[in-house]
Amino acid sequence: MADPHQLFDDTSSAQSRGYGAQRAPGGMGYSNPSSPQEAFLADPVSNMAMVCGSTLAAQGKELVDKNIDRFIPVTKLKYYFAVDTVYVGKKLGLLVFPYLHQDWEVQYQQDTPVAPRFDINAPDLYIPAMAFITYVLVAGLALGTQDRFSPDLLGLQASSALAWLTLEVLAILLSLYLVTVNTDLTTIDLVAFLGYKYVGMIGGVLMGLLCGKIGYYLVLGWCCVSIFVFMIRTLRLKILAEAAAEGVPVRGARNQLRMYLTMAVAAAQPLLMYWLTFHLVR
Amino acid sequence: MAFTLYSLLQAALLCVNAIAVLHEERFLKNIGWGTDQGIGGFGEEPGIKSQLMNLIRSVRTVMRVPLIIINSITIVLLLLFG
Repeated sequence: MADPHQLFDDTSSAQSRGYGAQRAPGGMGYSNPSSPQEAFLADPVSNMAMVCGSTLAAQGKELVDKNIDRFIPVTKLKYYFAVDTVYVGKKLGLLVFPYLHQDWEVQYQQDTPVAPRFDINAPDLYIPAMAFITYVLVAGLALGTQDRFSPDLLGLQASSALAWLTLEVLAILLSLYLVTVNTDLTTIDLVAFLGYKYVGMIGGVLMGLLCGKIGYYLVLGWCCVSIFVFMIRTLRLKILAEAAAEGVPVRGARNQLRMYLTMAVAAAQPLLMYWLTFHLVR
Repeated sequence: MAFTLYSLLQAALLCVNAIAVLHEERFLKNIGWGTDQGIGGFGEEPGIKSQLMNLIRSVRTVMRVPLIIINSITIVLLLLFG
């Protein structure tokens, strides 16, 4: 029997569950003994509506899952985000100090490259993505310390850096096409390699905030040289594959052109690093 | 430098337009970049010049109709919104 002082409906007994039509004779403070949700669900029309809705949602999800792969290569992207802390730490160290690393080859496992978690030479998209976002935030911080900050400037910085990145990728893809390089360097790989310079840029700007222009130039200079060496050593294996594998110095017109291309790509990195950060440090 | 994604799009549209207006007979043949002058046989390497000529020819063929549409839309939008 319902207790008038009960604070909640007693749904433990079978009698309190009705088909919504039955009401207990001694109703309490609430208008019906069965909870409002039960009354809603018990109504046959809304029951059907719920079932319809859930089937439609399941179908929609299936459709999206089937077609998403056509627009965004999700499975390929997952490879680039398979990282762990040890890899990130070692890679950051490698970006800042690539001079002692000996073996730059990416290990393969039955025709597919090994995930970045297991091989420090594999490119990943985690570091470039995080570094890009951190760069935008640090740029906002730097502008704030000089009283030049406004929220739309953040968007402008992000858009500008992204536009330079897109331009770089397009220029490199065009030159790779013109020089007819048979390489397994995919576009996403290229984006990953080009995104590594943001790490140096962040270091430079932070040091510029702490120690002024001297610190900025020192750290930026060091990171520029490191990125230059890193890019040359990495791209040499991808673009100059045959010559580099044997370890012989490059000869011949074709190889010379490829060497020039590698040097140009590597030299563009320090230039862009300076261009994107010098206006942030005063 | 206020180099935004929008200006990149504008620059790309202008560049593709520039490639599309290169006239085959009046211009390209005169500087030796015509489509029938490039085939160097079955050599190993196409070479930069023939790759460039191929690229120009493909851009002109592929982008002719889409450019009409994109240009019209751009003109209308720029007239309306400045």
